[in-house]
Amino acid sequence: MLKIIIPTTMLIPLTWLSKSNMIWINSTTHSLLISLISLSYLNQFSDNSLNFSLLFFSDPLSAPLLALTTWLLPLMLTASQNHLSKETIARKKLYITMLTLLQLFLIMTFTATELIMFYILFEATLAPTLIIITRWGNQTERLNAGLYFLFYTLVGSLPLLIALLYIQNTTGSLNFLIAQYWVKPISTTWSNIFLWLACMMAFMVKMPLYGLHLWLPKAHVEAPIAGSMVLAAVLLKLGGYGMMRITVLLNPLTGQMAYPFLMLSLWGMIMTSSICLRQTDLKSLIAYSSVSHMALVIVAVLIQTPWSYMGATALMIAHGLTSSMLFCLANSNYERVHSRTMILARGLQTLLPLMAAWWLLASLANLALPPTINLLGELFVMMASFSWSNTTIALMGTNIIITALYSLYMLITTLRGKQTDHVKNIKPSFTRENALMALHLLPLLLLSLNPKIVLGPIH
Amino acid sequence: DWDGKVSEIKKKIQSILPGGTWDPLYDTSYLPPERADVVIVGGGVLGLSVAYWLKKLEKPRGAIRVLVVERDHTYSRASTVLSVGGIRQQFSVPENVQLSLFSIDFLRNINEYLAVVDDPPLDIQFNPSGYLLLASEKGAAIMENNVKVQRQEGAKVSLMSPEQLRNKFPWINTEGVALASYGMEQEGWFDPWSLLQGLRRKVQSMGVLFCHGEVTRFVSSSNHVETASGEKVNLKRIHEVHVKIDQSLEYQPVECAIVINAAGAWSGQVAELAGIGKGPPGTLQGTKLPVELRKRYVYLWHCPQGPGLETPFVIDPSGTYFRREGLGQNYLGGCSPTEEEEPDPGNLEVDHDFFQDRVWPTLAQRVPAFESLKVRSAWAGYYDYNTFDQNGVVGPHPLVLNMYFATGFSGHGLQQAPAVGRAVAEMVLEGHFKTINLSSFLFSRFYLGEKVQEHNII
Repeated sequence: MLKIIIPTTMLIPLTWLSKSNMIWINSTTHSLLISLISLSYLNQFSDNSLNFSLLFFSDPLSAPLLALTTWLLPLMLTASQNHLSKETIARKKLYITMLTLLQLFLIMTFTATELIMFYILFEATLAPTLIIITRWGNQTERLNAGLYFLFYTLVGSLPLLIALLYIQNTTGSLNFLIAQYWVKPISTTWSNIFLWLACMMAFMVKMPLYGLHLWLPKAHVEAPIAGSMVLAAVLLKLGGYGMMRITVLLNPLTGQMAYPFLMLSLWGMIMTSSICLRQTDLKSLIAYSSVSHMALVIVAVLIQTPWSYMGATALMIAHGLTSSMLFCLANSNYERVHSRTMILARGLQTLLPLMAAWWLLASLANLALPPTINLLGELFVMMASFSWSNTTIALMGTNIIITALYSLYMLITTLRGKQTDHVKNIKPSFTRENALMALHLLPLLLLSLNPKIVLGPIH
Repeated sequence: DWDGKVSEIKKKIQSILPGGTWDPLYDTSYLPPERADVVIVGGGVLGLSVAYWLKKLEKPRGAIRVLVVERDHTYSRASTVLSVGGIRQQFSVPENVQLSLFSIDFLRNINEYLAVVDDPPLDIQFNPSGYLLLASEKGAAIMENNVKVQRQEGAKVSLMSPEQLRNKFPWINTEGVALASYGMEQEGWFDPWSLLQGLRRKVQSMGVLFCHGEVTRFVSSSNHVETASGEKVNLKRIHEVHVKIDQSLEYQPVECAIVINAAGAWSGQVAELAGIGKGPPGTLQGTKLPVELRKRYVYLWHCPQGPGLETPFVIDPSGTYFRREGLGQNYLGGCSPTEEEEPDPGNLEVDHDFFQDRVWPTLAQRVPAFESLKVRSAWAGYYDYNTFDQNGVVGPHPLVLNMYFATGFSGHGLQQAPAVGRAVAEMVLEGHFKTINLSSFLFSRFYLGEKVQEHNII
């Protein structure tokens, strides 16, 4: 594990000591190399975990998330080059430092053995994200967005701290590898119900669950591109990952306590998909689609069957790559037209055909086209929820239809039709942008050839 | 002061709670937003009309964020409120007739278009008295042609011989008049101030943001491209507008996707800020927006024996015009000066000698009752005068692709404002004109030299 953590830490002095024309090249190249190291962890024993030390371990659930996190840093740096080009050198270096710090905390979060260490780093990821959103965001609303983001997560996660301390006191250890073997079934008393709620609410807010999702559209829309990418791709998965880890300690109470959250997720899935159909702001549309996809993951984790866990893991990785790619595409539009309203920049297929190809592929991945792992995840979750309760198939089916509707709506509004007059002199696609999209899409397509990497510990 | 402190704390808490904007440093509510999709430079009737139609025609409701920047919130020098307020369909260019026809329909049904919940209905005091254009021998053939075009478009205009003129309007002296055209329906005059207020109220209720400031700079990015014929042009795209706050050095950069130049008489200066016209003359690069300020005087006089209540808006062949104002035998009128007599547009001072020397003689000759009149007051207003062909400029600029024009109507802008607003909104949202085809009014005609000249304008 140190072979990832130390290079990531050393990225910070690398940025600060680079020459001004080399900061992007240095940081991007070195973070790409770090991500190649993390790919080695994907080679896992399927029945146990890779233990590096007392502090860090990785198992087939956290390894793909780790690979996603480290893969994303070079992509974030590539995407930020344009909007930071007018800032001073110190600001640029500070931005890269924030991203690297966030990356560091995320790597350690995904591989932590002790749940308290997980919690501390979980909270620590809030700080760089908040700084990125409020300092480099675009509009005055970003202060409000930062506030929502910060306080929703903090209020949700403070009970988690108390619950973890309680478990430490009663069970004696919060080391995940040990705790999973020492678990005693907990009974349905009021204090255990509050324990369950305390453990789960932090992750519900992070996912986000439908009733607690208000911070997400704000944070995504106001954040700069790197902020949106890391929020959509990785920070949301922290919630899913945390839920999958903590439910090990909370059996069999989950069977009863999960009902309200399952209802909220199933209903919220359809609601947020429907809201997407009425969105005028491109980034807002993608943000709400994130909520919709994550609702599926919540359903999967709360049902707790082997198929649903496989589906949840696959869906998390797939959504991370797809959502991040959609945000990059929306950002490339925004940098040209300086407006996020969809109807003002139409008919881009004739002007930017290659970018249109990336739009098409990203939207098709978003609507879970076979044989992508998006489909795999959704299909597994659908089957598991059908066997849990037959009626959920109607809701899941409706969601799939509405997802297809809004993905195609987004595609058609931005690409097809006659161009508006004022977009006729936009700059053609940069190689950097094409490389960015290709680097997002390549793992997604390659994973459809070998999906068992991302299917999690059950497979 | 306990109560004051408590209310301050309450205000602070309210601003922090969700729903409000929280600016912890200082109050910036007078500044425009940092981002807007469309920035409309100029808050007169044309600018507000474009804003209204943009919000009305956008497909998903609330999609576009529109900001109207107006530097004079009292409208003290705006052409809209200093206008005589007439509306006619008697033009020779068919597009002008269509524009006026839609505008009068808009004005007649103004309370269906501009209704705001819980606000009183608008009364623009439309007097449907019609226009009477008089033609001498030389102009009679042109007038007949014009009336044919107008009738084709659907305007109801009647041609009158001097005999019929004397029968209908006994106060007129038909010496030198060979033919007259009289608009039977849909012509007259109205109160421009109430139209402006109605538009302003409605547009604010639709969510358009207003800013009291002046546009001082456009930040644009250029693209040097080569056309098919090998000519090198510089395609520009405005991506930021610097709005300077009134009586302060502070400015706010507003990031925008589209800029609409509806600055009226000052549109030429705004276009120069965007770099339109900076290039070798004779090329598209070097074609300026030919809109300048021209000062026009309007005089209000009282004549007890003057023409009665059925008086239309009379336009003499010499260019002098007058109309009835109110019910107390008051009349408004004036005359367009020739090129040599153009007054200095630096200020809005009125030259009373102009009335004595130029306007009164022709008035008295046409309407003998006006030999004894008493001038009550006078004012001056600007025309956004298009020196090329005295007709409006509408649509995008060929090089600065996201600047759209809605200006240059040289004295008939107010009457065509609703229709022009709709046309520009269609151009912005759809990319082509859908209802009225104003492609002959595009900017490129200045470079190609295709004049859309009107006969008989004031």
